[in-house]
Amino acid sequence: MATETQSQPADWPGRYFHIDQVLNTPGPRTDESFLAGDGVKDFLRNKSKILVIGAGGLGCEILANLALTGFKDIHVIDMDTIDISNLNRQFLFRPKDVGKSKAIVAAEFIMKRVPGVKVTPYFGKIQDKDDAYYMQFNLVICGLDSVEARRWMNATLVNLVDPEEPESLKPLIDGGTEGFKGQARVILPTITSCYECSLDMLNKQTAFPICTIANTPRLPEHCIEWASVLEWPRVRGDLKLDTDDPEHIGWLYKIALARANEFKIEGVTWSLTQGVVKNIIPAIASTNAVIAAACCNEAFKIATSSAAYLNNYFMLIGTDGVYSYTFEHEKRDDCPVCGGEALEMTLKPTTTVEELIDILVEKQDIQIKKPSLSTPTKQIYFQAPPQLEEATRPNLEKKVSDLVPPGGEVTVTATTLPFSLSLRISYSE
Amino acid sequence: MSQEAQDIQDSTTAIVAESAPDAKTRRYDRQLRLWAASGQSALESSRVLVIAGTATSTSVLKNLVLPGIGHFTILDPLEVTPEDAGNNFFLEGPSSIGKSRAEEAVRLLCELNDGVDGKADKRSLEEVLENDKEWLSDFTIVIAHNLDPKLLQRLSEYLWSDTTFPPLVVVRSAGFLAEFYIQYHEHSVIESHSETTPSLRIDKAFPALLDYATTLDFENMDVTDHGHIPYVVILVRVLEDWKKAHNGLPPQTYAEKKEFKQGIMAMRKKSDEENFEEAEAQAYRSWTATTVPSEISELFDDPKVKSVTPSSPPFYHLVNALAKFVQEQPSHTLPLSSTLPDMKASTSAYIHLQTLYKRRAEEEKAAFKSYLQVPIAEDMVDAFVKNSHALKLLRGKQWGAVDKDGAALVKGGEVAPKELSVHLALSALSSVIDKSQPGAPLTPTVEALTEEAQALLPGGASLPDDFDNAVGEVARAPTADLPNVAALLGGLVAQEVIKMITKQYIPIHGYCTIDLVDAWTGTLKLSDLKP
Repeated sequence: MATETQSQPADWPGRYFHIDQVLNTPGPRTDESFLAGDGVKDFLRNKSKILVIGAGGLGCEILANLALTGFKDIHVIDMDTIDISNLNRQFLFRPKDVGKSKAIVAAEFIMKRVPGVKVTPYFGKIQDKDDAYYMQFNLVICGLDSVEARRWMNATLVNLVDPEEPESLKPLIDGGTEGFKGQARVILPTITSCYECSLDMLNKQTAFPICTIANTPRLPEHCIEWASVLEWPRVRGDLKLDTDDPEHIGWLYKIALARANEFKIEGVTWSLTQGVVKNIIPAIASTNAVIAAACCNEAFKIATSSAAYLNNYFMLIGTDGVYSYTFEHEKRDDCPVCGGEALEMTLKPTTTVEELIDILVEKQDIQIKKPSLSTPTKQIYFQAPPQLEEATRPNLEKKVSDLVPPGGEVTVTATTLPFSLSLRISYSE
Repeated sequence: MSQEAQDIQDSTTAIVAESAPDAKTRRYDRQLRLWAASGQSALESSRVLVIAGTATSTSVLKNLVLPGIGHFTILDPLEVTPEDAGNNFFLEGPSSIGKSRAEEAVRLLCELNDGVDGKADKRSLEEVLENDKEWLSDFTIVIAHNLDPKLLQRLSEYLWSDTTFPPLVVVRSAGFLAEFYIQYHEHSVIESHSETTPSLRIDKAFPALLDYATTLDFENMDVTDHGHIPYVVILVRVLEDWKKAHNGLPPQTYAEKKEFKQGIMAMRKKSDEENFEEAEAQAYRSWTATTVPSEISELFDDPKVKSVTPSSPPFYHLVNALAKFVQEQPSHTLPLSSTLPDMKASTSAYIHLQTLYKRRAEEEKAAFKSYLQVPIAEDMVDAFVKNSHALKLLRGKQWGAVDKDGAALVKGGEVAPKELSVHLALSALSSVIDKSQPGAPLTPTVEALTEEAQALLPGGASLPDDFDNAVGEVARAPTADLPNVAALLGGLVAQEVIKMITKQYIPIHGYCTIDLVDAWTGTLKLSDLKP
């Protein structure tokens, strides 16, 4: 019986009883362009093609919700494999799946559970795929834990937009969680605020100054950083630190604990050691469920026009009651991805190229890890390839004002990001 | 391994270190960082009853089974319909049709976590209420989704009838709209995980701190040491000197505060002493009086706190002792917290300061304990003292009480019209269901629903403007348990249930309402509904 129904993808009467209530009738706030009935159902179930980025905490939830709401052609990309610590929330995985590809296991599970849904997994990186690949989808939903991957996906979809070709505009729905907090947003590339526009909303990561770690530790975290940043390379040589290897974590823990005892610092534990070196973010099923549902609800509304979609940012804080805030995040004219205008930057006449690079790395709304700099006429500094790095290295000590005239433009690029940033430089004196 | 690595290994073996975490700790690692072993243990001892195996119910349960509750029961006499098989992830499509909905859902939910015990109970709620209602009190919490209004009424009355009976979570949804409410008599929280930090008590420095700060020879100190005096010590010293010159008063006016800050910066021996910059930035701590937050002092006057008996819950005994501590201890403050934030300092100066705080906190904790009239577990006393600035006591109302209180509804329309509109639209739907024949198709008109909502309000009061938007959605999809709405409710309800069970973080106090057309959630807080 079970196998028979699995090979029979046809819908059964009553299958969409719940969903069809909102597809058969408009509501008070439904746009006039909504065509209730069979047309919209046919588009949702037979024509739309949706891409899910990430098959982790959010991804598992997103896939299940999409399948139940009637999307039948779903693709999913994830480069990770399943770890035991995923099992407290990534509900498509079982202990026997540890070590396997998240995308593949998740896709198989959904297809087994929800008849007639095709999920196509890709076990690899989003960067492996080209524009033609991304062009085939109507919608993209991101459930990622990496800022870098989100920036790449966002910039790729913005670059894809061809004003002559309406189909090239792919709505991007992005979700993210951290403990009891999370956010979901709808990005219409080039039209609404994009991921890059809101970079300054990210929490700044706590970085401990190296002198504190080396000379004046006060917190257990300082001792752990000492073990991982200074002692590991010094003692273990070229061996690469694998934060998933219990032997490596155990070693760091013991070293950190010894240092803590030496300085009478309390609180170094195995769990804290792992948390600091892996930069672990707490994650629970319930928050992921809320944010994934919010994302999928937007995907459903966009695909069917059955109700207006989110404009454009929903954030949730669940620690004290249920607090959420829905607002319109504004587009930035000087956004390096979707803005078009150069970012104004005022430097001291004495600022060196190296200092400018430090400023760019630190600046909350830019966050470019290894920027390369050039002007329309010359290369200022390039991080790679090695020959070019060597050739431009002497410029690091030079003053920017000796290389760029007031009002001049500097183009900033980084290999990890598929876009360049234009700076218009002026000098304070 | 190199010789040096070997040496380090040897030198560290003397320290008692934890061994690598076991499989269970690894599995729960990401949540233990939120509610720790104590919260996890509360979850693992809990027994959750869910009434009706709907898509929303199984979504809630999924988010409780994954983090590891002890036991759950689904109470549901129905068989899986084709409609259920289409919207519930914890049924296996057409192959589940005709089988027991409770059994199918329990079987598939149990696959999520070996450590959780699940049971299907095929009795109807009506049967339980008739013949076996004591059985309901055996659970930690009861969750009910879209129950028949009459049965819900009886269930809520029974669970409200005894203060020791489990809380009831009432969940209602129709199409894009939903709400939930937690019925509890009271809920106290010690570990609220508040983001407000306790006072460092710079304005009321305890003797050892004052002595340390005032005897430290700033002038003749080595330059490096001078640049590593913790800002707390700097502020205590500067404030003490200031008070001597100003009749014992801290800086009052803007000009004085500015002068105070300038005084701090003038003490620098080098222009780049970050500790003095920190002291300047934190200078407000010197003139901000350490007081007992009003929400805490209000607890002191609570009749149940004032009249504790040996059988009173520990929370009341702890608050009673806290009230006496504040009244009788010379500082008239809450007990000192031993948690010191990080600050620019040398290791020795910081650890010395931390030791002063810890020692004093221990002394104050001992003083606090002397006021306790009954013995209370050490862990609980520790947590209480540590969180005494952020305690929470919530007093609830019976489910449905708000709908019988016209004045509260009118107030709700003023303070939260959108939220009230969703609530009224769903209450109107319940009224329509209540009056309709069992089994008859449910297709209420906007007019019929509006009439029911209007009937809840006192004469002359009008429905909020937002009501039209809400009621239209209910009329559009009165029986739709949409997968995305079910999933979102599943997350929010499970989150609140986890808070109730662990007694950590603060649960809702009233209704949480949800509108997934405009993508918002809101709350109708009981405390805001008082006319």
